[in-house]
Amino acid sequence: MADVVAAPEALRVVGRAVPRHDARDKAVAATAYAADWALPGMLHAAVLRSPYPSARIVKLDTARAAAMPGVAVVLTARDVPRNTLATDVPGQTATVGPLRATLHVLAEDRVRHQGEPVALVAAETLELARAAVEAIDVAYERTPGVFTPEAALAPGAPQVHAAGNLLAQWRIARGDVAAALAGAAVVVEGEYTTQLVDAAYLEPESGVAWIDSDGVITIRVSTQVIEHFRDVAEVLRVPQNRVRVIGTYLGGGFGGKEDVTVEVYLGLLALKTGRPVKMVWTRQESLLARAKRHPYRMRYRTGATAAGEILGQQIELLGDAGAYAYLSALVLLYSTVTAAGPYRVPSVEVQARVAYTNNPPTSAMRGFGGMQTVFAYESQMDRVARALGMDAVEIRRINALRRGDRLPVGQVIETHVALPELCERVWAALEPPTPPRAPHVRVGLGLACNLQPYGRIVWLHDWSSAWVGFEMDGSLVVRCGVPDVGGGQASSLCQIAAEVLGVSLERVSVHIADSALTPLAGTTTASRQLYMSGNAVLKASRELREQLLRVAETMLGAEAATLAMTGDLVHAPDGRTLALPDLLRECARAGVPRGHLAVYNAPAGEPVDLATGSGKVFPDYTYGAHAAEVEVDTETGVVRVLRYAAAHDVGRAINPQSVEGQIQGGAVQGLGYGCMEEVLVEDGINLTTSFATYLIPTAADVPDVEPVIVESGEGLGPFNARGIGEPPIGPPAAAVANAIADATGARLTRLPITAERVARALGRLDGTN
Amino acid sequence: MQPFEYVAPETLPDALALLRAHGEEAKVLAGGQSLVPLLNYRLAKPHVVVDVNALPFGDIASDDGRLRLGALVRHHQLEESEVVRRRCPVLADAARCIGNVRVRTLGTVGGSLAHADPAAELPAVMTALDARLTVASARGDRHVDARDFFTGLLTTALAPDELLTAVDVPAVPAHGWAVEELSRRAGDFAVVAVVALLTVDGRGHVDDVRLAFAGVADRPVRARAAEDALRGHEPTSERLALAAAAARAALDPPSDAFVSAAYRGMVAGVLCRRALARAVTRALETR
Amino acid sequence: MIARMVLNGRSRQVDVRPEHTLLETLRDTLGIFDVKEGCGEGVCGACTVLLDGRPVSSCLVLAPAVRGRAVTTLRGLERDGGLHPLQEAFVRHGAVQCGFCTPGMLLTALAFLEREPRPDREAIRAALEGNLCRCTGYTKIVDAVEAYARDRGHG
Ligand SMILES: Cc1cc2nc3c(=O)[nH]c(=O)nc-3n(C[C@H](O)[C@H](O)[C@H](O)COP(=O)(O)OP(=O)(O)OC[C@H]3O[C@@H](n4cnc5c(N)ncnc54)[C@H](O)[C@@H]3O)c2cc1C
Ligand code: FES
Ligand code: FES
Repeated sequence: MADVVAAPEALRVVGRAVPRHDARDKAVAATAYAADWALPGMLHAAVLRSPYPSARIVKLDTARAAAMPGVAVVLTARDVPRNTLATDVPGQTATVGPLRATLHVLAEDRVRHQGEPVALVAAETLELARAAVEAIDVAYERTPGVFTPEAALAPGAPQVHAAGNLLAQWRIARGDVAAALAGAAVVVEGEYTTQLVDAAYLEPESGVAWIDSDGVITIRVSTQVIEHFRDVAEVLRVPQNRVRVIGTYLGGGFGGKEDVTVEVYLGLLALKTGRPVKMVWTRQESLLARAKRHPYRMRYRTGATAAGEILGQQIELLGDAGAYAYLSALVLLYSTVTAAGPYRVPSVEVQARVAYTNNPPTSAMRGFGGMQTVFAYESQMDRVARALGMDAVEIRRINALRRGDRLPVGQVIETHVALPELCERVWAALEPPTPPRAPHVRVGLGLACNLQPYGRIVWLHDWSSAWVGFEMDGSLVVRCGVPDVGGGQASSLCQIAAEVLGVSLERVSVHIADSALTPLAGTTTASRQLYMSGNAVLKASRELREQLLRVAETMLGAEAATLAMTGDLVHAPDGRTLALPDLLRECARAGVPRGHLAVYNAPAGEPVDLATGSGKVFPDYTYGAHAAEVEVDTETGVVRVLRYAAAHDVGRAINPQSVEGQIQGGAVQGLGYGCMEEVLVEDGINLTTSFATYLIPTAADVPDVEPVIVESGEGLGPFNARGIGEPPIGPPAAAVANAIADATGARLTRLPITAERVARALGRLDGTN
Repeated sequence: MQPFEYVAPETLPDALALLRAHGEEAKVLAGGQSLVPLLNYRLAKPHVVVDVNALPFGDIASDDGRLRLGALVRHHQLEESEVVRRRCPVLADAARCIGNVRVRTLGTVGGSLAHADPAAELPAVMTALDARLTVASARGDRHVDARDFFTGLLTTALAPDELLTAVDVPAVPAHGWAVEELSRRAGDFAVVAVVALLTVDGRGHVDDVRLAFAGVADRPVRARAAEDALRGHEPTSERLALAAAAARAALDPPSDAFVSAAYRGMVAGVLCRRALARAVTRALETR
Repeated sequence: MIARMVLNGRSRQVDVRPEHTLLETLRDTLGIFDVKEGCGEGVCGACTVLLDGRPVSSCLVLAPAVRGRAVTTLRGLERDGGLHPLQEAFVRHGAVQCGFCTPGMLLTALAFLEREPRPDREAIRAALEGNLCRCTGYTKIVDAVEAYARDRGHG
């Protein structure tokens, strides 16, 4: 049955591929990133980090370091007013998540992962700070560690934390899986392994803090979450209104700047010294110390009818949280909810666990647990199709979710699911196939789909706020506390306000990401910012419009409902116009505010019992389909992605150019994940702490990504947009694996799909070790 | 970086005197593309850095039978030089594989050889070409053959007070050539690289043949067994495969965190066969 | 020590420390923040500047070694306060997201186009392989460089 989709409204600014205001500033390097900031008398800070993954600190003497000339202060755990940092629920929401996750700001008696912070130094120069770090007299006694989740959960394993190594588990049981698999014409079984990866944004963690003239501790920092001002205040034991975080335009975030990075250290050092302090992590430090994406081991059993209908799926997930909880419980929840993919699966059982180890901690990263599972469920889908001799698009068409269906967790799908169209579009985009260029080369095509939640879990009661107002000359100001990670977050807000208030885009200014001066908007994470803050700006703009038109009504002698705002004018039905400055002067005279603050509350819900499949977890989902054409060198195992197309139903593209950018950038990150990226850790020691060893794709490693934007007009964001920040990173690894299977018959189940692994799968290394 | 004294001598005698005076405490700075990372990571902590960039070793000269590359010839010069393209094109191809464009702007032939990274292209090319290196010190000049120059992982026959000043390579305009390389990512150091050079005589038999690998040992490796298996034979695909197998059999490559020994060896064989095939095609074209 | 260099077309005397890189000198001594640091080891290209017209990693150049030479940072491209046409192409084609790679990308692309005025997409990708971008996936950067080369050819 055809699903009816809303007709688009006529729009002027929204939906146009306008170049972003911030792009121009960045193209001339006018943008001051967090590290591009210097204040008179500024100190430079450095961190002493543990070289060991598991050890007791038996000695920590800072006297010699503190006595060095030019060293302002050396801090250890004893010097931190409250040495505990909550890491589970970032952002402004008061409602607490499923568990209190905490860590020490500086290690007390134990370190649990390599790179764990032990002491802080601030000195007159960076060289001095680093020298002082080296001069700290620290001794460790190594203790046994655990380095895989399996080992961590085995009886008798060394315990990373007193409460045990099992950090969290979720379970879904829907229908009768055993019966479904028993009755299936085909059952496909697979085990999939995904690796530890890093966000690897180009801009390392950085910031500058100072105590402003009003005594407020002010931290200008590269962060996705300005609400961390509260965490800083907690640690410093100062009132929350005495800490201000100014978020800079980020040099990339991808979830890696969602947890606290430098801000607490900077707050501490500024408070202790009373001087401005700068901290910039080196790349090595960033790769060593930042939380990463969870590696997973996933076991899937999928049963289908001879016609290709999926009957049941039994799923086991095991993730590695590393040494601290951070957001692991929530990441695992995302995996659990999305584990069966964007398909109708009547019987599903999911057992998901995440364990502590002495590996680098893992937390948020673009896709947030909704990503690892794509590799598994889309590989399974491909195997089922191959087992049945079915076409890749056809099997997905048969099984795709439709409005009204339920996810395994019980959530009813309330919006249109464009999966079949997305599949057909990307498949068609890769026609005709490329002929192999040499006898040792095979070419194949792979398809992979996904669903990714946008917006936060409904029981977190998410909200955002924004202020929109006119200056007397008719120029418009938007204030909203969103951090801009580079995805055009700020610029989209301008488009929305310009659309509603009929102002030309050049006349809109936006102030973002200042916890003291901009209304709080929540985190730029979870693909929520356009959805949440876009809605807040939309609401503020609409309410402001009403407010102003009530004044215009009397000035023009025409009913407000008949007035239009476009081209920086108010238009009456009879053709008369009113210039904005005239209207605004009248507002000032009449005491009508020229600005308006609005709060947008996302649809909220109560925590669900996953096991019984009782209901709504996320506001909504974004769906995608990607297709890859790959060439496999069957002698060396080298895989080249020749062509790539990626389609997402974004509901409505507020700025198609930004949407394309998200799709292309996400797809290439996904290809990096699929084909080359891996944080290699051996017994807790990170072997890839440089950009020469932690490899991300270059321009020469990837093809053009052809973005396919589908606008169903169905989404919960402004003008029916859906979130598109995270979704495109999901499908590429599976699309490549499926394409390799198509080309060669070899099934790669472990990421990254390196040339050596392909060569092994092709039997090229048989008889050797 | 640890503080050090920076000196930039303008004549060779001055440079050599500095090196003699400071010995182990001094480090020569050429393109800096390997040295500066070492300084940044404090893996090298010299007291004196002797910047030799003002010395007149930046030219490529050619006479009848050979090319003379000054030690300060940059990788990009090899890529762009007309005389290299005509008389020893394998150098241009190899240089193109080195790092990224910024590395090639500054990195030098002398630096690459003196640094002696086992995965580097130029040491392998010089090994294949039987290059002769000129080494200067306050004690005078001496010549070292490429095969004797590379003595182990990042180590060479250079004494601390010696400066590499020039490299002589035979002009090989009639040789077919190929550089085949596999790296984990575009522009990265090779996992394995193969350099092949050969001529085919009037009867269609392989005459001179030179084959060397990078990435398969602690230093560049000349594949003599494979050369012997080819010389005097018609370069049929069976013969090339046989030679490649001989080359592979003679290797005992290392494994590291990223690539296993077995895979390196397997790839060395495959790339060797491809390099030979390409070199044969080119040799037949120039004949 | 004092080093004289030509910085963005203007001759300057700069007090440099031998153990500083050009990157540190530009950013920390001179406050020239249009040069970024992404890795400090020559891999990422965020610190790209032109040295006598050729791209180098300023993180791998010792500061005193640039005496007597010409250093160009992104600001050196400014034309009467306006954007260079390649900068305009980057903005128009959406080649800028977070912008952290942008200065290095622009300088590398310009130096490349000097030598190869009409490259195809594959050549552009090869030329930019030493400049990492984590945001855009490169397609729009290649679009921008290609469009600039084409338009310039006609103009
Ligand atoms: C990101 C990156 C990627 C790279 N990729 C590759 C690659 O794929 N392949 C490759 O081959 N190389 C690669 N390199 C290394 C590059 O080729 C270097 O240029 C080269 O190894 C060293 O040359 P240099 O002139 O920069 O030497 P420097 O760094 O100046 O010196 C290197 C060493 O040699 C000594 N030295 C230099 N010149 C002389 C001399 N004339 N006499 C005596 N001693 C001397 C120095 O004291 C020092 O110990 C890469 C480098 C980087 C930064
Ligand atoms: S900072 Fe110099 S190349 Fe990355
Ligand atoms: S735009 Fe962010 S790294 Fe390129």
